[in-house]
Amino acid sequence: MLRPKRSDGLTAHNITTALQHAIDQRLSRRDFMKLAGIAGLTVAAVPSQWGCGPASDPKFNPVPQERALIEQAIEAVKDAGASYGDVRISRHWYESITTREKQITGVSSTDSYGIGIRALVGGSWGFAATRILTTDSVAKTAKKAVEIAKINNRIAPSDVTLAPIDVVRDVYWETPHEIDPFDVSIEDKAALLFQINEAALQTDGVNFISSGIQSVKEQRLLATTEGTLIQQTFLRINPSVNITAVSADGRDFQTRGNVAAAASLGWEYILGLDLPGNAPRWGEEAVMKLSATPVEPGTWDLVLHPSHLWLTIHENVGHPTELDRALGYEANYAGTSFLSPPEEVLNKLRLGPEFMQFQGNRTEVGGGATVGFDDEGVPAEAWPIIKDGIFVDYQTTREQAAWISDLTGITRGHGCSYGQTWARIPFQRMPNVSLMPGEDDYSEEDVIAATDHGIFIEGNGSYSIDQQRYNFQFAGQVFWEIKNGKKHRMLRDVAYVGRTPEFWNSLAMIGGEQTYELGTTFGDAKGQPGQSNAVSHGCPISLFRNATILNTA
Amino acid sequence: MPQSPSTEDRYGLSEQESRALCMRVLNSSKAEHVRVQVQSGWRGFTRVATNRITTSGGSEDVSVRIVSVFGKRLASIQTNSLDDASLGAAVRKSEELARIAPENPEYMPELGSQQYVPVSAYYDATGQMTPDARAQAAVYAIEKSQQSQTVAAGYLDVRAGTRAIATSNDLFAYQQATGVSSTLTIRTPDGTSSGWAGDHANNWANIETERIAEDAVRKCNDWRGKTALDPGKYTIILEPTAMGMLMSRMSRVFDARRADEGRSYFSKPGGNNKIGERIFSTRVTLRSDPAMLDAETAPFTNDGQPINSRDWVENGVLKNLSYSRFWAEKKGKEALPAPSNLAMVGGNDSLEDMIRSTQRGVLITRFWYIRGLNPRTISYTGLTRDGTFLIENGKISRPVNNFRFNQSLAELLKNIEMVGPSVQVAASENSSVSMPIIVPAVKVRDFTLASVSDAI
Repeated sequence: MLRPKRSDGLTAHNITTALQHAIDQRLSRRDFMKLAGIAGLTVAAVPSQWGCGPASDPKFNPVPQERALIEQAIEAVKDAGASYGDVRISRHWYESITTREKQITGVSSTDSYGIGIRALVGGSWGFAATRILTTDSVAKTAKKAVEIAKINNRIAPSDVTLAPIDVVRDVYWETPHEIDPFDVSIEDKAALLFQINEAALQTDGVNFISSGIQSVKEQRLLATTEGTLIQQTFLRINPSVNITAVSADGRDFQTRGNVAAAASLGWEYILGLDLPGNAPRWGEEAVMKLSATPVEPGTWDLVLHPSHLWLTIHENVGHPTELDRALGYEANYAGTSFLSPPEEVLNKLRLGPEFMQFQGNRTEVGGGATVGFDDEGVPAEAWPIIKDGIFVDYQTTREQAAWISDLTGITRGHGCSYGQTWARIPFQRMPNVSLMPGEDDYSEEDVIAATDHGIFIEGNGSYSIDQQRYNFQFAGQVFWEIKNGKKHRMLRDVAYVGRTPEFWNSLAMIGGEQTYELGTTFGDAKGQPGQSNAVSHGCPISLFRNATILNTA
Repeated sequence: MPQSPSTEDRYGLSEQESRALCMRVLNSSKAEHVRVQVQSGWRGFTRVATNRITTSGGSEDVSVRIVSVFGKRLASIQTNSLDDASLGAAVRKSEELARIAPENPEYMPELGSQQYVPVSAYYDATGQMTPDARAQAAVYAIEKSQQSQTVAAGYLDVRAGTRAIATSNDLFAYQQATGVSSTLTIRTPDGTSSGWAGDHANNWANIETERIAEDAVRKCNDWRGKTALDPGKYTIILEPTAMGMLMSRMSRVFDARRADEGRSYFSKPGGNNKIGERIFSTRVTLRSDPAMLDAETAPFTNDGQPINSRDWVENGVLKNLSYSRFWAEKKGKEALPAPSNLAMVGGNDSLEDMIRSTQRGVLITRFWYIRGLNPRTISYTGLTRDGTFLIENGKISRPVNNFRFNQSLAELLKNIEMVGPSVQVAASENSSVSMPIIVPAVKVRDFTLASVSDAI
């Protein structure tokens, strides 16, 4: 077995499964508050008014200057004639340390701080943002946002209405973590990376390795003209390792990358991955890929490990269930969706077998899209997207809820609003969308044993999918031939191509909770100007019948 | 050069302001060497969908990156908090990090004063553009769409800003630039057809709002009633945008180190590369030039190296690969930065000529979701989008389904049969202002359309 064995330490998966028990598919508000309490959320018992006394949530503690500016901005958008406005003051820290072989290639840290103001006039949005946090600048920026909304409302009016919300004030939430990655020194991070590199380079045939740790911290203060005032701190961390083996004759090279998932957790997560302990195995896999058997194109079953399947879910379940996309709002870039129009597919379209359950979930601990509240102040929640194999709901914001409420009976948004930074307008972004583990509690071995002629895929390779999310072609990092229920030999140059509805309807077997893992990207791209969203997808190991396999060499 | 405005809330910093900001860092630095990069500017956007303006806005920012160096130890800090206390703290932090950072043996000393080709990338028509003007352009597209009973989704991205570089060795470089990208997708209300058109330029005056609307509507109408076509190897005609989306990938591959390390198409066994060898069709000349009209870029890199005009491929022969300063020194070559824009030299074949000369082939408007398959063969996969047509006996015979392609770009550049005039295209998938790409329409034999896509 060359599969990396995670240590028994704290992993995203362990934490997730511990908390997952607490999450019902339709989470009640009381349950949510209980869970949120575990996950680091504190809620004020008595909401305070603007500027009134200390907050009753002891962790809610915005810098007085920021609080004054955000309140000023709220008053300014109202005074300028907006029917609604929301304001974000946020600070973003990005730290990156990268190495190759025995040397550092980069130590870099970025912080960005500013205010973004969104205003609604009639049914039209306007947005303005600046890094200059003075009363003059905030007044000017608020005016600009309203002015742009007025221009749009005059020239090409839209008809935005916002779903109702329970206003939450003076609340603080932070990503659950033990060790803030920004409290760990560059030296310690570099030392870990050099250990990884050294361990991988000990493998015969490994020529190159690059590795890195990317840490992200965001402090966000949100206020709305409705009275919402929420402070949140998000943490994310992303380990990367990429190992290259060049063939002796110099005519070929193979890489093993994407070895470990990113997560919204602290440094303890990185320690729990035991990257140096696993690096020799990844090095061996890179070398083995050089002499692996070229795959025979044709029809094979697929056993997809969560380290691979999460990105497939992202592409062909996550994206097509974005409601704005399904209704044409992203037609000029990311495209539309095969799950459209809503009245023809909601509660009607079968996308998979009875045992297939997908949920949208912004509460899953470790998940990239896990928050206390979204960028419109809607509390994080979990809800079914595919229930018993039938497509039942989309991802929504407050603006979008009414578009389908007569079909879903749900009048509130699912809390999917997010703007990448203060400089970006918030819009609908993907929550964690996860395939629930099976009730039969099958193990990885059980799933492999059920496969006669199949390919086991770990990690993500080249991913490409069309603009309605039908035709996809996905590749992995490591491929194993499964013959008569057993892993047989390594294959190479494998990609599977398919059509999304047929693919999920070919799902034949899923593993239990013990096989469930999260995969995460920080780079979910959408919108114009493009914005990046962090998001995770959990899934158990899964078996798909009769996939079409290509040889991409 | 136009007059630099002194206000920072619209165009970014003037040369004087940039120099002053750089000096604040240089003067407070205690590092052995220091490099400062200043970026400032403004970005406005207007989005259209469902025949309405959906969002619109603007943001402005100034950021400073400080690279502090002790021996071969270095670290880089970027901040946009520019008051004395915050900037001072950023300088100190970059020094602290640099002191504890492990040595980077590939670090090259900071450059001194350099000569740059004079390039202005700033156009007033872009820099002066208002939200009102953006809304008017959006409304033009919306009205055209409504007149043809179709649905418009579009994006206008406008940027105006500056870059400055300074080092403790007396290097200073400054440039102002503008850029604009305008793109439009037109779909039928029932979602059975889609058309696209777009422009990319530094100068708003060269964005043809009317032509974009007309072309996108026409494409959508022409593609109505598409019928099935099997995948396979086809002669294809790529419209300039389709060619540009592929060639923007070529802008990243001309790297000597990857070639020398055995990790590229340009690798030769024994740790060498293919410079001087004929690798593509003689019709292929690929060139970069920071002074290219309306596609101007900064004539310097982030560490202050001059960027000059350069042929990467000349009549099919590989002329140059980019060398980092470290790799150049190691290999005894001249350092050569990667291209900052990319142009393929055009020919005289019109699109009509290409269609007329084709017995059986496929005409492609543009692509989507292009991803690498194999760097040794420069192979990519991706999908056709917004207008795909069968050509039979010298004529467009019918609209057909979309395809996924799996194709080596090296083979494509070997198999080119006809070349049209070169034009600047909106080559980025998200239609943002990005690296300028100037390419012709081309006719290419044996292009692999690997599977059918049902997407519209």
